[in-house]
Amino acid sequence: MRILTNIRDTDLRGFVLPLAFLVLWYLVTALQLVNTKLIVPPAAVVAAAWDVVGSGQLLTGLRASLVRDLSGFAAGSGAGILFGLLLGVSRWAERLVGPTFHTLKQISLFAWLPLLSTWLGTGESAKILFIALSAFYPVALNTFEGVRSVTRAQFEVARVLGFGRLQRLFRLVLPAASAQIATGLHLALLYAWLATIGAEYLLGSSAQGVGSVVIRGKATFHVELIVVGMLLIGLVGMGLNRLAALVEGRVLHWRGPAR
Amino acid sequence: MNSSRFRSLAALFGAVVAGTLAFAVPSSVLAQDKPKVIRISYSSAGTGGRPIVGGSTIATAHQQGALEKEFAKDGIKVQWTFNPGAGPATNEQLANGLADFAHHGDLPIIIGRSTGLRTKILFSYTRFGAAYITGPIDSPAKSLEDLKGKRLAVFKGTASQLALGRILKKNGWTERDFKTVSMDGDTLRAAIATKDVDGGFIAPFDLESRGVGKLIYSTGPDPELASQGVFWVSEEFERKYPDIVQRVVTTLIKVAAWGSDEKNREAQYKLWSNSGTSYYEYQKTYLDVPLKWRLSPLLDEYFVENLKKSIVQAKEFRLIRRDVDINGWLAPQYLNTALKELKLEGYWPEFNAAGKPKLAQK
Amino acid sequence: MTTATSLSRLAAPAAPLAPAAPPRRHAAVSLLATRAVDVAAGLILPLLLLGLWQYAVDRHWLAEQILPAPALVWDSLVDLWQSGELGTHLAISLTRLAWSLAIGGGAGLLLGVAMGVSAPAKAYLYPSFQLVSQFPVIGWVPLLIVFAGIGEALKISAIAIAVVVPVAVNTYRGIRNIPRALLEVAAVYRFTFGQTVRRLVLPAAAAGIFNGLRQGVMHAWLSLVFVELLASSEGIGYLMVWGRQLLQLDIVVVGMLVIGAVGIVLDRLLAWGEARLQGWQRQAY
Repeated sequence: MRILTNIRDTDLRGFVLPLAFLVLWYLVTALQLVNTKLIVPPAAVVAAAWDVVGSGQLLTGLRASLVRDLSGFAAGSGAGILFGLLLGVSRWAERLVGPTFHTLKQISLFAWLPLLSTWLGTGESAKILFIALSAFYPVALNTFEGVRSVTRAQFEVARVLGFGRLQRLFRLVLPAASAQIATGLHLALLYAWLATIGAEYLLGSSAQGVGSVVIRGKATFHVELIVVGMLLIGLVGMGLNRLAALVEGRVLHWRGPAR
Repeated sequence: MNSSRFRSLAALFGAVVAGTLAFAVPSSVLAQDKPKVIRISYSSAGTGGRPIVGGSTIATAHQQGALEKEFAKDGIKVQWTFNPGAGPATNEQLANGLADFAHHGDLPIIIGRSTGLRTKILFSYTRFGAAYITGPIDSPAKSLEDLKGKRLAVFKGTASQLALGRILKKNGWTERDFKTVSMDGDTLRAAIATKDVDGGFIAPFDLESRGVGKLIYSTGPDPELASQGVFWVSEEFERKYPDIVQRVVTTLIKVAAWGSDEKNREAQYKLWSNSGTSYYEYQKTYLDVPLKWRLSPLLDEYFVENLKKSIVQAKEFRLIRRDVDINGWLAPQYLNTALKELKLEGYWPEFNAAGKPKLAQK
Repeated sequence: MTTATSLSRLAAPAAPLAPAAPPRRHAAVSLLATRAVDVAAGLILPLLLLGLWQYAVDRHWLAEQILPAPALVWDSLVDLWQSGELGTHLAISLTRLAWSLAIGGGAGLLLGVAMGVSAPAKAYLYPSFQLVSQFPVIGWVPLLIVFAGIGEALKISAIAIAVVVPVAVNTYRGIRNIPRALLEVAAVYRFTFGQTVRRLVLPAAAAGIFNGLRQGVMHAWLSLVFVELLASSEGIGYLMVWGRQLLQLDIVVVGMLVIGAVGIVLDRLLAWGEARLQGWQRQAY
């Protein structure tokens, strides 16, 4: 019963545009209004998707990309939290490191890639470092802001309760900043996926990965492969977004109602 | 000294001797100086980045497993790295110390040397190949001039860019007269098919047979314009293992002789077509010139003079910033020894600076 | 405690000793002093890093071909600037950015206003926007390359897409957050639709719109660098590709510096814009 009411509640009008797009796509290719070598019919895409999934290519590629993505994400966010904490907790750290940090942040992400890949080759290490870099900044910035948002009053309470440095860190600062940190991690997850795909497009055609599927599609002229790859990339992006939102919601829920 | 003390001293002495021996023995083995692995970089990859290539003696040797067979008895592995990023990527590997030998085009190797990368040229692997400019199937261009100001694609940093420079200079133009974009082979083919570029520095045959490309300009086998490639060894590797270098060269020259034999023409095309480039295309591009000429490994007068000219051109087209000194760069002794050992002296004709054979053909 | 506070205390003591001195001057001096300390402190790390860079070059931590010396990078920067090459490529990149911002921003604004103001529009459009916003911004590029080629059309459309989504979504949210009371006042004054939009909706949602613009600009710059690295014949990204192909890594670093500089300028411009906006908003009260 619940499911039915939910379906009725969801505004079906939201589906109109995507459906219209699909219909248009189908018509345009069926009526041969465009070069079907370029704009492949949806059926071909489905067939290609079936093929690629069946051959296991897609799953191995997906797994490779996700492993890369999550390793880079873990490394970058970990470093980001530490860094953000340092900058937030110590005024002097912020004075010394802050300006450099904020300036380097302005170098658009992909500008780092040529140099990194020259130094580390086009293997895994360059890609993972690049992905870690993409995750580092959002997490560091948000952690920093989260730490700074801890109010004086809360510090007073910690002092009254006789918290030591470490206790203050783990029982006051981190929990207080957790909402911001969660936001940062959410952003970082999205950026990391972006960086993973970007690095695959720009660097590897022989390495495994979803991006490589797309590149191979371009190289061998199979536009269906490109579309399948793209759809998969989008789906993973959405999945990660959902996951992050869920976790963030959990964290906020723990924090209770807004102050 | 009492007996127990004497015994402990003897034990200590024995331990020291044993320890020294333990170190001494492996070092005498080390004195034979054999690498565990031979790392070869190839400045190209097959279609879609696949690790099979064609179009050179080294490609043939890779597919035949010639080097693997030669070094199997020594327990030395041969590790091949195929670079979709072509010559520039090979340079980066050399800079990172990741390559011992490499197949490399003339421009990238000149660039490498100009930035201080130390190599020794062992033999050459291609010459007199024609250069082509291919356009989309419906291109109105009839000649290179029609493409002036339009989008022209070439893989920058590779021998193709230098060859393009030579062609443009011959007509009195420079890259600036066109909108040159850098693209690798796969991307370039796709771009011509989708008409994203007006012309590209690539052979037309595959594209023509698929109905998506059209030849706009060809140089034909012109000794003045054609690229040449080299097979090199890093100075470090050569210093440490000269005997290994000799064996590598001898093995590859043997393959070169096989490949230069007209009897093996078809078989070689078949091998090369595993790279993704079609048999048909190799057939057409290797048609005009005897195999012995195209695949000649000699470091003859033509090669040396052409190399010197290329260096001057590279500087002129502002592709290198520092001068390149050719002294001490070539190591022809390995090639000569190989030719003597394999009794192949005189098998390949020597060419003079103008690209004409010096002596009558054998 | 910290040098800054003791320094400001140093600047202040003149007050009790010279009661006639105006207190404002001391506040200004202490402000200047803290600023000076901040600047000095901020410079320590960059100078250290520069020193580390030079040390790494001298000690050959990486081959000299792939780790250019700071001096070489500087020389190349000056060279490229003086020859005009850098200026040309930069101008091309910035022009692309401007066009994409105009097209993407304009489209995003229109769509966002439409969604915010008209409930049916929101019902039809918003879910698709949400879908697309979760797609990695650069995911479209290969497909766009197939359709739009690699000319300006591709670059501008790829970057415009990156701008449309954040602008539209933030504009919509900004409008949705307008307090009902204000809309009722507009109704009382019998504003026409156009007047409502111009004199109420846009100003009230300005903060949200600006936020979207800020995100849009950052996304645009990100995509622009990516697209130029991938397929271009001119622009800063292309300059970096060129440098890398010719093993002139110093040009790559020059490219990074220029990209960073543009990032800083864009950030500053947006911050200034935001401050002006807030100032205006405060004035309204």
